[in-house]
Amino acid sequence: MARLNDDAQWIILMGFLISFSFFFLALVINQSTVVGQTTAESVIEFPKNDIRDVRDVIGNVVMRVPYPQNVTVYKDITVLSMNRKGSVVEYSNFTAANATYIQIHYNNGVTEYNENWTVL
Amino acid sequence: MVKNDNGQLYTIEGFAAALIMVMTAYLVVNATSVYTAGDTHINDMQLEALGSDALKMMDVAPNRTDAETPLQGIIRTDNYAGFTTMLLNYTNESGSGPRHDIQFNASYTCRDSNDLTHRIQFANSRELTGGEHTVRATKWVMVYKDIPECDLGIQMDRAVLLEVLLWRD
Repeated sequence: MARLNDDAQWIILMGFLISFSFFFLALVINQSTVVGQTTAESVIEFPKNDIRDVRDVIGNVVMRVPYPQNVTVYKDITVLSMNRKGSVVEYSNFTAANATYIQIHYNNGVTEYNENWTVL
Repeated sequence: MVKNDNGQLYTIEGFAAALIMVMTAYLVVNATSVYTAGDTHINDMQLEALGSDALKMMDVAPNRTDAETPLQGIIRTDNYAGFTTMLLNYTNESGSGPRHDIQFNASYTCRDSNDLTHRIQFANSRELTGGEHTVRATKWVMVYKDIPECDLGIQMDRAVLLEVLLWRD
């Protein structure tokens, strides 16, 4: 067997290290394309507008719509939320000591939101 | 101390082989997931936010009064043309320059006395063909109306869900 030539081992080792560092840099670039996607997806998935909107309409109903009609509107909101938005919405309210207390529950299967809202 | 540097090349070869195996495992595990381009969903997110904001602005009464909002009036009087004009003013205009090529298809749903929902086609700027990549913006609207499809016999406050599909040409 020919003699093992072990000259220039450090140069070979440094060559390996540099080439593998390039490989890991490429991995970083590869992952960076996914960042925008997951961010946008999580923004779309989080129902910020839905919650603000349902809060808005519940506040309107509680403060402005009088007794027999507000039962109808309550059913409008809960039934349409379930059928069209796939979310469970429930709310109740009572008035005491010059303040109106509204309890809001929202759940779309991913995000749950509960609020005790006091309107002076 | 005797410095024994035999077998260094074998060590390097071992490292290289280990790294190649790790790399192979990484590539194999990753091969099952498909990445779409990173900015694909950013457009959707922006369009949805734009639509939600436009609907929100349409549902605000002038000068923050308790008066009927433009959107409530539009639904109460079935003013389809007014809805199209107002929504496209908020979403599609860009000063006096070119349009943004945003198209929409709007409908609202109401509940009847049997808790069934009825969807009422409202207004659109273009017919849906099914090939559009749409996003949905929704808005709850309180409307003082006796909706024929969800007839309760009297004109009264109702909550309806306005749904707008938005897409770009």
